[in-house]
Amino acid sequence: MIWHIVKKDFLLNIFSARFIIGVLLCIILIPFTISVSIDEYKNQLRIYAVDKENSEKELKQIKVYSGLKPELIKYPEPLGILYKGINQNVGNKVKIYLQEYPLFPTGHASTRDNPLLNAFFSLDFITVLSLVLSLLALVFSYDLITREHEEGTLRLIFSNYTGRIPFLIGKITGVLLSLLPILFFCFLLSTLFIVLSPDIKLQISDWIRVAILFIFSILYILVFILMGTIISAFVKSSSTAIVLSMLCWIWFVFLWPVSGSYLSKSIVKTDLYDNVRNSLDDLDKEYGKLEGEQWGAIQKRLNMRGTNWWNASGGEDGYFETYGSPSETMEFHRQLNTWKEPIRLSYADRKWPVQKAYLDGLIRQQKMEKNLSWFSPSEILVQAVSCLCRSSEKDFLRYMDETRQYRETLVTYLKDRNLFEKYIYFTPQDPATFVSTADFIKGNNNVPDHFNTLDLKEVPTFIDIPAAIDTSLKDSFTGIAALILISIILFSGSIIVFNRYQLR
Amino acid sequence: MLQAIDLTKRYEDQELALDALNLEIKEGEIFFLLGANGAGKTTTINLFLNFIEPTGGKALINGIDVTKEPLESKKYVSYVSENVMLYGNFTARQNLDFFAKLGGKPNLSKEDYYMQMREVGLQEEAFEKKIKTFSKGMRQKVGLTIAIIKDAPNILLDEPTAGLDPKAAAELMQILVNLKRQGKSIFMCTHDIFRAKNIADRVGIMKEGRLVMVRTREEFLEDDLEKIYMNYMQEMVIEK
Repeated sequence: MIWHIVKKDFLLNIFSARFIIGVLLCIILIPFTISVSIDEYKNQLRIYAVDKENSEKELKQIKVYSGLKPELIKYPEPLGILYKGINQNVGNKVKIYLQEYPLFPTGHASTRDNPLLNAFFSLDFITVLSLVLSLLALVFSYDLITREHEEGTLRLIFSNYTGRIPFLIGKITGVLLSLLPILFFCFLLSTLFIVLSPDIKLQISDWIRVAILFIFSILYILVFILMGTIISAFVKSSSTAIVLSMLCWIWFVFLWPVSGSYLSKSIVKTDLYDNVRNSLDDLDKEYGKLEGEQWGAIQKRLNMRGTNWWNASGGEDGYFETYGSPSETMEFHRQLNTWKEPIRLSYADRKWPVQKAYLDGLIRQQKMEKNLSWFSPSEILVQAVSCLCRSSEKDFLRYMDETRQYRETLVTYLKDRNLFEKYIYFTPQDPATFVSTADFIKGNNNVPDHFNTLDLKEVPTFIDIPAAIDTSLKDSFTGIAALILISIILFSGSIIVFNRYQLR
Repeated sequence: MLQAIDLTKRYEDQELALDALNLEIKEGEIFFLLGANGAGKTTTINLFLNFIEPTGGKALINGIDVTKEPLESKKYVSYVSENVMLYGNFTARQNLDFFAKLGGKPNLSKEDYYMQMREVGLQEEAFEKKIKTFSKGMRQKVGLTIAIIKDAPNILLDEPTAGLDPKAAAELMQILVNLKRQGKSIFMCTHDIFRAKNIADRVGIMKEGRLVMVRTREEFLEDDLEKIYMNYMQEMVIEK
């Protein structure tokens, strides 16, 4: 019984004008969107290669450990071609400093090269899919009942041995099956574009993610079909149904996601980053004051009248390098580093709660937005998909956690080898070649022509471990569970409303 | 066999659409229910098909209470509506195939459908044509074919001749006579007194939800059905 209704609806739908329009819409939109995304991804790869090369080059030139500040370059996410997610708003570089925990990346975000173009709406495959499929699902389902009613076939059907629930299941399945070729075509088209791009290499696990995305999309379509069904069962005429369906589409796909974002910002207030930066700067000043005091104390302890440097350079980030300076100065700096680096690390620990409080505020705001998004199926889909495409806020926070853990590993490495207390921390010069202050004043500073760069083979390297499929699935589970729950609610609602539907 | 026992329907707005209808249509009988618009004819059909629930009494099809066992009762009834629209983008044969399957005849061949369509007077070239190109008369014939294919013992027709040309209407009546000969109970709501006089075994007149008169063929041929009907209609106008 159900199968006959499914077959009838499927055949009527695929030969309808709306099906052809749907396919045409996809033929126009998908290649355009995917080719733009592929182009942007290639651009990111190019930027990644340049940044990576610069970072490695910089690291290879380091002669002292105080200059060891690895810059972590994030590899562009290939699945970002399908959905950019958070990656379009955050940078791709994280520099590791001792005096502060990394909070946000800097550098190039996955946006367009021309910043003026960023004012325009950014589209990717999933965004287009969520817009087009929801629209098509409603266009195919708004008259699911009303059309049969208006054409008199509903009475003829129910004059037969046909129950209302099997009829409804058959109709819904028929529409779903009619939309599957369009969905499949969209995925096929995008896959072809990706496969034919030589620079893009997706792993098997990535293809599995694409397959799961396909399943998520089916669920998403089902939600909108059920929405159309309940509308169609609720009203008597197709014209009222189409108006209501379009209002729902605009509300759930456009208005609510934007409203949710604004609402979350107004409900959960966060501190301005400028205020956070001021608090961090205050701690830096406090530390600077302590360092000044210690500076004098060490000079006094070493009976130094002043400090003489030769070939010295440094920065606020803790880097200091000198060679050819007198042994007194070298000893001064060794003692200063022995004192100051642990203090700088402890100040980083004091800064972290301030940073963390700010981050927690942002996360609370994001969670509020996420909670509000449960009212919009398209937002739920986007969140579930972002987990699968490793471009969710969870992936970002996980990555930042990894960078902070890496910083800890680096600090442990430096501490375990007592490198803060060693001359190599700030001078590449062999201590045996240090000259006295008297010789230095005479100009006999005995500076070699060349210094070797540091051998960093044993220095821990950062390994970005992207979320595995099971983690991504776990992250997207709530979204998928929500879509299933909404489907169940809408289906139950459809049954209740349709059971009250008057056939007279 | 169709039976209405004190069958009553009062809508939510308290309008009494059908007032304690008692009626029995036997096997091989054609019953015409006459009445003005809004008299309660379609309500009666809606109640027999369980499209609406009665507020009193019951409707039985082959002894099955349509409210208690709606699906089971529909095995024994076919329905032809006033304006059979069907699926415009399907051919006549595809429409027959779909409704035949819903009617519990899943194994019919193309030839079976062709044969039935020939029997109701549809031209061969129409079999594989889309229904949207059909005239109303042709659609009604397809609708009747659907009812015939189901082969149910009872057939309900709701003003099937409305809008048909005389020839098409006459053909339809001939088909009903043939069905009657096969032992089918036929219940037809109509305004068409002429057709009623031609083929009905019994005629009922409905007025404001009440069955005000039932006459057998012998009685209404003797009494002049047209006159009786017009009298009832005039009374209604005067009352209003």
